Amino acid sequence: MQEDENRAEKMKVTVKVFATLRRFMEKESQVTIESGTTAGELLLMLTKEHPGLNNELFDETGVLREYVNILKNGRNIHFLNKLETIIEENDLIAIFPPSGGG
Amino acid sequence: MLTPEEKEQFIRQTPILGEDGQEKLKNAAVLVAGAGGLGTAIALHCAFAGFGTVRIADCDRIERSNLNRQTLYRLPDIGRMKADMAVERIQGVTPYLCTEAVNTVITVENVLQMTAGMDIIIDAMDNYDTRYILADAAEERGIPFIHGAIDGFYGQVATTIPGQSACLRCIVPHPPPRTKVPALSATTGIIGSIQVTEAIKCILGMGTLLTDKLLLWDGLHCEMDTIEVTPLKECPHCGECRKMKTEQKK
Repeated sequence: MQEDENRAEKMKVTVKVFATLRRFMEKESQVTIESGTTAGELLLMLTKEHPGLNNELFDETGVLREYVNILKNGRNIHFLNKLETIIEENDLIAIFPPSGGG
Repeated sequence: MLTPEEKEQFIRQTPILGEDGQEKLKNAAVLVAGAGGLGTAIALHCAFAGFGTVRIADCDRIERSNLNRQTLYRLPDIGRMKADMAVERIQGVTPYLCTEAVNTVITVENVLQMTAGMDIIIDAMDNYDTRYILADAAEERGIPFIHGAIDGFYGQVATTIPGQSACLRCIVPHPPPRTKVPALSATTGIIGSIQVTEAIKCILGMGTLLTDKLLLWDGLHCEMDTIEVTPLKECPHCGECRKMKTEQKK
C-alpha cells in the first residue's frame, strides 16, 4: 500500500513539433509522463529519446534557446512558469522555432 | 461604384466577394511592408484582387541573389530600388490602382507617417525588430496586421486585430536570430497568398480569420497546421495590463 502511494501517477500528454524539429521526431506523439513533470523535464525526456533535438532546443551551455516557442494548450510557457511550468494530463504541447525570413 | 469595365474585370471573383465587396477593396489601402520574396507576391496579389491603394515600403536595392524568389524583378533591374520597381511592375493591373513607393527604413520615428491612411498592414519583413514596430503602429491605428514569415520550406501566418486578438508578441515573444534564412519562391508565394487572402477577408468582414492562431506551413511534408494561441491577460501590449493603462489614461 505504501509503495502504491509513493508511485507517481502516470499521465498522457500530446506533443506536436513543427518545422525543423520534424527532422528528429514524428509530428505528433503521445508521451507518458509522471504527474508533476515540468516543461523542462519533458524537453529533457524528448531530447533523450531524440538526441537530434538537443541542438535545436538548447545552446552549447544547455540553456533553452529563447526563441523556441513552447506552447502549453496555446499559452507560451514564457508567460507561464517557463521551464518550471507543470505539464498536466491531456495537455497539448506544441514546440517549434518561429520562421523569421521574408 | 464599379465601372462596367471593372465589373467585367472582376466577373470571376464577384460571385464570392460580391460587387459591394469588390467596391470595398477598391476603396481600401494596404501597406505592404517589405518588397522581398513575400512582399513581391503580396503586392501582386493585392493589385490583382482589386485593392485601391498599394503602398510598398522597402529600403533595399535589387541584387542578383534576390532573383530566385522576388518575382516582380528581372535581371536588368539589378541596382534599382525594390519599392520603386515593385510599384512599377504592379501598375496598370486595374484602371484605378494608386501605388506609392517608400524607399526608406521603417523606424519607430516614421512608422506612423508611413501607415497614415492605410486600412491594413501586411508584414513582409525579414526581421522581427521591424515587425514589432509595425505591429505597434497597427495597434496604435486600430488596423489589422497580417503577419507572415518564411524559412526555407517552412512558413507561418497570423492575423492580429488590435483589442480583439493575441498580438504579435503573444505569438512570437522572442524572435529567432537575425540571419539570412534559406528562401524559395514557392514558399513565399504560398505564404504571401495566404496573407492576401486574410487581408481581403479583413476588409470584407467575411470568413474566419487567423486570429488567436498561428498557421504553420511545412512544404517539405506538404502539411499545414493551425495552432491556437491564447491571448495573454498579462501581455503588456494587448492584454489586461494594457487595457487597464488605457482606461487609466481616459
